[in-house]
Amino acid sequence: MNVDTPAKALAISIISLVLFITTWELVCRMGFIEPLFMPAPSQILTRAIKMIDNGQLIAHTLASTRRVMVGFIVSSLVAIPFGIFLGSSRFFMAVFDPLISLLRPLPSMSWIPLSLLWLGITETQKYSIVFMGSFAPSLLYIIEATKGIDPLLIRAARNLGASQLDVMREVILPGALPQIIAGLKVMLGIAWTCIISAELVAAREGLGFMIMNGKEYFQTDTVLLGMVMISITVMVIDVVFRKFERRLLPWTR
Amino acid sequence: MDTVTGTKISIQGVTKIFSGKRGEVTALKALSMDVQDGEFLVIVGASGCGKTTLLNLVAGFDKPSEGRILLDGEPVTGITPECGMIFQQYALFPWKTVQDNVEFGMKMKRMPVKQRRERAARFIDIVGLKGFESTYPHHLSGGMKQRVSIARSLANDPKVMLLDEPFAALDAMTRQVLQEQLVRIYEKHRKTIIFITHSIDEALLLSSRIVVMTARPGRIAQEIVNDLPHPRNAEVQLSSRYMALKRTIWDSVQAEVMKSMEVEAD
Repeated sequence: MNVDTPAKALAISIISLVLFITTWELVCRMGFIEPLFMPAPSQILTRAIKMIDNGQLIAHTLASTRRVMVGFIVSSLVAIPFGIFLGSSRFFMAVFDPLISLLRPLPSMSWIPLSLLWLGITETQKYSIVFMGSFAPSLLYIIEATKGIDPLLIRAARNLGASQLDVMREVILPGALPQIIAGLKVMLGIAWTCIISAELVAAREGLGFMIMNGKEYFQTDTVLLGMVMISITVMVIDVVFRKFERRLLPWTR
Repeated sequence: MDTVTGTKISIQGVTKIFSGKRGEVTALKALSMDVQDGEFLVIVGASGCGKTTLLNLVAGFDKPSEGRILLDGEPVTGITPECGMIFQQYALFPWKTVQDNVEFGMKMKRMPVKQRRERAARFIDIVGLKGFESTYPHHLSGGMKQRVSIARSLANDPKVMLLDEPFAALDAMTRQVLQEQLVRIYEKHRKTIIFITHSIDEALLLSSRIVVMTARPGRIAQEIVNDLPHPRNAEVQLSSRYMALKRTIWDSVQAEVMKSMEVEAD
């Protein structure tokens, strides 16, 4: 089949989605699968309506989103200037390289026990998990992006009277921005895995908590609803991020 | 030129040695020359003769291994905005509009916004890009990009302009237009110019003096005062004086090219 327009591709995608959900629904309705293991889409939808009515779904989603955004934004705000600085200074790169190399392989999950010990089951603890999970990889993305700058542009800027600091702000930051944003987009996905795992372990609200709690009460529809909500939220944030990206990079159009 | 008043740049016994993986390369050896104030000096030479190295030393991007370079009697110790560089690859900031590119040097000097707006607009007009102020570089042709780069340098008011094969990547028509524009700018603003090229015709059209450099290590092979009358139109280009000059330069450049090819064959 010839898929030559975006509209055609969209139509095919919609049909495929409808087919998938219908098959799932039918398989459940005909009793091939125990609802406890796999509830039908209609059952998840019913659960969703119930939880929207009592406000829980929105509350959990917002709780997780807020945690991801706070942790992610703080981590980016530290990682961007620090990464640019390290990327332009061989001396400080050598100083911090061992520390970064030690931190980088640690999955965010491994920080959960320490963070609980230090901060308790608090919001700050959730932010810290997102921060620890996304900081080191973000930093490496930014250092790499910084190194990709055309040295000729730095020369030209210096020749026009730019100081080292001017070069970082006026050349390296905007020059590396497309790669930095691409890296941060990946990091945002990682930030979500961080927060969900933190909530699965210890939390009183959030999508991770909702999933874990659903499992405790054998509400498999709640578990699946939580998972669907994670997908939807990440997709929505991705769209918002892309709008923001176009705003920030007008010259790439 | 009658406005030549004194020595602007003095290159004194400059040697530049690069040490790399395959040992040391002497790019320049005991090179000495003076550039007079208001002079349009064109340096011609085979590729790899250290022309670009010399410009980098004058601009302060690199330090000589031996000898020194004086600008207005003061040694060049670091990167100096007094020597505005024009690169063959334009080196425009892709994330800045034409206006913001031209304003860059003034912004670095912390000039007030209004003042630099006006000054940038003036130089954009001089290079004939009025109406393109809010365009990003990747929407411009090569010739237009190089004009932005010239405006950006001029707006920063350097004492000396260093041009490193600025028109080499342009098509013949565009090159001619830009050459004429550069001559007009030179006549109006009287900057001291050091211009590097491997085109003998370009050297003859633009210069007030031509220096031919030897194959590596770079030294001066020949020096010619270009006394061709202005404007250097088709008539001048067909004159016997032009032909004679071209032949002289060609002979010494060719000798150097042969020499450098022998070196490479070794």
